[in-house]
Amino acid sequence: MKYVLKKIKDFFRNSDGNYFPISWKGWLSFFVIMGVSSTVCSLLKNITTSDTHVPLIFVMAVLLIALTTDGYFYGLLASLASVVMVNYAFTFPYNKLDYSIYGYPLTFFTMFSVSLVVSTMVTRVKNQEKARIESEKEKIRANLLRAISHDLRTPLTSISGSIGAVLEGDDRLSENSVELLTGARDDAEWLHRMVENLLSVTRIGGDKGGALHTETEVLEEVLAEAAATFRKRSPEVEVTVSVPEEPLFVPMDAMLIEQVLFNLMDNAVTHGKTTTRISIAAKTLPGSVSVSVQDNGRGIDAGAFEHLFDGSLQLQPGKEADSTRGMGIGLSVCKAVIEAHGGTLAAANVPEGGARISFVLPLGEEGNSDDYQG
Amino acid sequence: MTIKDKILIVEDEKSISGFIKAILQTNGYDVITASSGGEAFSMISSHCPDLILLDLGLPDMDGMRIIEDVRRWTMLPIIVVSARNYERDKVEALDKGADDFITKPFSAAELLARVRVAIRHMRLGAAGDSVANSGRFTVGGMTVDYGRHQVLIDGENVHLTQNEFKIVALLGKCAGKVLTYDFIMKEIWGPQVRGNNQILRVNMANIRRKIEKNPAEPQYIFTEVGVGYRMAEGD
Repeated sequence: MKYVLKKIKDFFRNSDGNYFPISWKGWLSFFVIMGVSSTVCSLLKNITTSDTHVPLIFVMAVLLIALTTDGYFYGLLASLASVVMVNYAFTFPYNKLDYSIYGYPLTFFTMFSVSLVVSTMVTRVKNQEKARIESEKEKIRANLLRAISHDLRTPLTSISGSIGAVLEGDDRLSENSVELLTGARDDAEWLHRMVENLLSVTRIGGDKGGALHTETEVLEEVLAEAAATFRKRSPEVEVTVSVPEEPLFVPMDAMLIEQVLFNLMDNAVTHGKTTTRISIAAKTLPGSVSVSVQDNGRGIDAGAFEHLFDGSLQLQPGKEADSTRGMGIGLSVCKAVIEAHGGTLAAANVPEGGARISFVLPLGEEGNSDDYQG
Repeated sequence: MTIKDKILIVEDEKSISGFIKAILQTNGYDVITASSGGEAFSMISSHCPDLILLDLGLPDMDGMRIIEDVRRWTMLPIIVVSARNYERDKVEALDKGADDFITKPFSAAELLARVRVAIRHMRLGAAGDSVANSGRFTVGGMTVDYGRHQVLIDGENVHLTQNEFKIVALLGKCAGKVLTYDFIMKEIWGPQVRGNNQILRVNMANIRRKIEKNPAEPQYIFTEVGVGYRMAEGD
C-alpha cells in the first residue's frame, strides 16, 4: 500500500517537487477558460438543439487549462468540473444533475476519462520539456565553468612561471623582493590549484555521476604518482605510501582520484599546521578498497566535523579568513569525486595526534583478476 | 664565443613562451620562438634547432601535424608542453614520435631536467650506446644484464619471467623516456595485440614487487598514469 501511495505521489510531483502548486494565476486561467467555454456553449444552445459539441468544447477547455497551468491539479479539477458543468447546464434535464438517464453514465465516464488523459498527458509533456530545458541550462553552466577555468589556467601558468624565472634566474634580488615574489608565486600556484579543482568538478558532470569516465587502474601507480606530485611541491613534508602485497585493480578516473589525494595532502599541511609527516595507506575490504591519508598535525577541530565536506566551512564566523581558505572547495571536491565513484569519505582524529581522512572505492564487477598472470 | 644548443619554443601565448625563454636563456641555451605552426615550420628548416618545445594548441594548425612532419625527415627531439587533463593528447603525441612531455604548470628545474635528458638522448642515441658497449644498463642498485637476461638488484638476481625481463629491458634501453602502454604492448606481444593493456599492468605490478623496495614508492620504474611507464635515467 505504501509503495502504491509513493508511486502515486511521484506521479503527481511536478518538476519543482510540489504536488499541487496552487496559485492565483492557475485559478485565473481555470475560471476564465471554464467561463469562456460555458458562454460559448450557452450561445450555441440558442442556435442549435443538438448538444454533441458540448463535451468536445469542454475537453478542449481542459486541454487549455492543463497547458496554461502548472502541475496536475488544475487539469484534474477542470476534468471533474466540466463533467459536472456539462451534465448540469448543457444536457437534458437542464439545470439539474442527473447521471441516471440511459446512456449518460457511459457518455460522462468517457468524457471524464478523455479529459483526464488529455490533462495529465499535457502536464507530463510540459514537465519533461521543463526538465530538458533545465538540464540544457546545467550543461551550458558546466561548459561555461569549464571554459572560464580553462582560460584562467594560461595566465596563471605564466604568472607563476615568470615569477619563478625571476626568482631562480636573478641572484641580485633583495631579501625583501624575494619574499614578495615568493608570496606572489605561492598565491598564483594556489589559484591554479583552485582552477584545477573547478575543472575536476566539471569533469564529474554535475551531480549525476553518470558522465564519469572510469578505467581500471593499478591503485599503487595512482598513489605513487599523487605522492610524487605532492613531494615536488612540498619537499619538506615526508610522505610515505604503503599498499597491500596483492596489486589492486580499481575502476576509477585516475586524474580525479589523484586530485582527491593531492587535496587531502594539501589540506593536511595547510590545516594540520604542524604536519611534518603524511602516510597514505591502502587496504583491501570485501568488494572495495579503502585509502587513508593520515597526518601528524594538530587534528581537526571538534566543531568543524559537521561542515567538513559541504564547502561551507569558510563561511563560519569568528575565524580569520585566511586560516580556512580553500578548505571548503578542496574537501567538497573530494567528496563529490568520491561519491561520483560510488564510494564514501570519512574523517577522524587519531589518538596519537593528527587527522585521518579515508575514502572507500568499490572494486566493480571484475574485481581482481588473477587470470591475466603471465 | 661558445656554441650553445638552440631551442625552438612553439607557443602561441606570448607570456608563456616569454618565461620559458627566460629560464632557458639564463641556463645557457640559445632560444628562438614561433607563435604559429607556419612560423614553426620555417624556423625549423632555416635554424635547425637542437630541440623543439611544442605546445599542441596552436592557432593555425594542430600541433600533431608538426610532430608528424618533422619526424619525416629528422629525429630532432620534441618535447610537448601540455596542460593537465590531456592524457590522450600526450599519448598521441608520443606515439607520433614526440620524445617527452611536460605538464603545465612546471618548475624551472623540471623543464631544464627534461631538456637536458632529451638533448643527451639525441647525442648518445638514448641509453643505447652505453648499453651496446657494456651490455648492461645500471641505475642505482639495479643492473639490467642484457647478455645473461637477468635483472640484478644490489647484485642479486631477482628472477623475472621472460616477459617481465623483456619489459624491463625495453624500458632500460629507452631510460628517461616515457614509453606508452601501446608501444610496450606491441614490442612485447607483437603488432596484432589489441586494446586492453591489463596484461601489461599486471606484469608491471609483478615486476615492481620484485625490483622495488616499496611498490608504492618506486625508485626505478615510474608510472605516468594514463600514458605509460618511464625508467629512471641511467648512471
